[in-house]
Amino acid sequence: MRRALARGLTAVVLMIATALFVFPLYYLVVTSLKTKAELFAAVPTLFPQAPTIQPYVSVLFDRGMTQLLVNSIVAGLSATALALVVAFAICYPITRLPLSRRVRVFVLNWSLSLRFLPPIAVVIPYFTIVQAAGLYNQLPAVIFVYALFNLPLSIWLLKGFLEEIPLEIEEAALTDGATRWQAFRRVVLPLSTPGILAAAIVIFAFDWAEFLFAFILTATRDAQTFPVGVQGLVTQFDIIWNDMAAGGVIAILLPLALMLIARRHVMTGLTFGVIREK
Amino acid sequence: MSLQAAVPDGRRPSLAARARTNWGARSRQERLGLRLLLPVFGTVVVVATVPFILAFVRSLTANDGRFVGLENFQRALGNAQLVESVKQTAIYAGIVLPVEILLGLGLALLVHRTVRSPAIRAAIYVAAMIPIVIPQIAVGVVFRLVYAPDYGILNALLGDTGHDQILWLSSPPLAMLSVASVDVWQWTPFVYLIMFAGLQTVPTESVEAAQVDGASSWAQFRHIELSYLRPLLLLVLFFRIADVLRVFDHVYVLTGGGPGATTEFLSLYLYRVAFKFSDLGQASALAVVVMAGMTIFYSVITRFLPAERR
Repeated sequence: MRRALARGLTAVVLMIATALFVFPLYYLVVTSLKTKAELFAAVPTLFPQAPTIQPYVSVLFDRGMTQLLVNSIVAGLSATALALVVAFAICYPITRLPLSRRVRVFVLNWSLSLRFLPPIAVVIPYFTIVQAAGLYNQLPAVIFVYALFNLPLSIWLLKGFLEEIPLEIEEAALTDGATRWQAFRRVVLPLSTPGILAAAIVIFAFDWAEFLFAFILTATRDAQTFPVGVQGLVTQFDIIWNDMAAGGVIAILLPLALMLIARRHVMTGLTFGVIREK
Repeated sequence: MSLQAAVPDGRRPSLAARARTNWGARSRQERLGLRLLLPVFGTVVVVATVPFILAFVRSLTANDGRFVGLENFQRALGNAQLVESVKQTAIYAGIVLPVEILLGLGLALLVHRTVRSPAIRAAIYVAAMIPIVIPQIAVGVVFRLVYAPDYGILNALLGDTGHDQILWLSSPPLAMLSVASVDVWQWTPFVYLIMFAGLQTVPTESVEAAQVDGASSWAQFRHIELSYLRPLLLLVLFFRIADVLRVFDHVYVLTGGGPGATTEFLSLYLYRVAFKFSDLGQASALAVVVMAGMTIFYSVITRFLPAERR
């Protein structure tokens, strides 16, 4: 009897919690499918009366945000690749070779400390550097900063994956006369490919979501990223609701899809290895 | 498909630890390791440290490059607006941290104790991940649609039922609560996921033993589960404090720090000094103070974090 009551209560609480979480997202999607005329209905509608993809066309083409989408993808892919190459070069020795504990702990702690810096404090000196280097409003500056700031996440994710590859496999190759480079190239690298891909997905999603750095280091469509464009849709004086909502939906879709694919690693990444999926 | 917390005790020796005990070719291997590690890691450290040094140098000079000693620091720290911004940040943290932690913990306990079906647990797990992966800017868009006048869903409901509209984002005490509610919406699931993962590490035997002894639900939580959750609660607290100090995106698009400066948190204040007033001297001084503060904060918390340190 008490059990049944508890179960009923749980169901109610969970349903309320779910509704509170889901409803704002639902209203976003609905708004993004409305026509301009419907926006001016006396009472906002909860279902689009005549669903249209016009707002998406308007955001992507009329407002020229396709260019920002391309910038975001280029910046995300390049920064992810750069971060992963550097992180791999750091993780290989600390997981596969007998370095002293002090060195290992220092590398991991130092990289974790980057995670705790508020980006605004960092972007102030970066802004000066980027301007002095003539890289203001250019994608390479954004890519570089993204790679550096996702390095901690990359290192901690790759470290986790590399530790899962048994040392014995590599040792067997070495015993059979392979050089370290061959053992790395033929054994470790292929075995770590799934891990690298998973890390790449998580890191790309973080790059995609980043706003502050891109906002401050870019000024025009040539280098602005998609979130910067979405910000323009929200803060303009007369908000066009359906366009703004469509921009929001596009910004959400990609990370959402990626995170669902790599969901096993998202929390591991966010908590730097404290939480793992078993 | 369930999350687990890697609580540090009782772990098996890591690969690296086993590699270390292999004395044979140790020193040669160790030298190889350092040769591979140092050039890359050294470069990264230098690249990441240069901005600190530049910020420090800039904080000691005026806009024309003249050395002015600690004048910028005096201006920055003596500014009443900084005090105000720190106060607002503290209020924001005072609202969101307890609410998120209590709600997240409560939901985790509820699901852990009453939901048995693995399918429902998995569904909740995936659903809880959704708000976390949404870009903050898009979260701002979502809550514009909730709080805006006229078209915003709350005011639409009020209007529909014959009430006056409420300016959720532009009347002083409410704006703070509105932006705080957005934080709660986005980050409670994060707390939930960590707490739920922590509860999975509580051995069922000790819980069952307590139940046989007639312990109440509360006693079971207080004396058994809480002791397993304590390191994770600390972890959540540290991550959330660090995140509150970087809060920018959703507040920037929802209130822009207003009305007045009532939601101008630390990051927004630094942004205004640096990029609206273009006072890079004062902004660099603030940046140096914040970075130094975070470094101290970090060195304190790493002593408590349950992360792997081997």
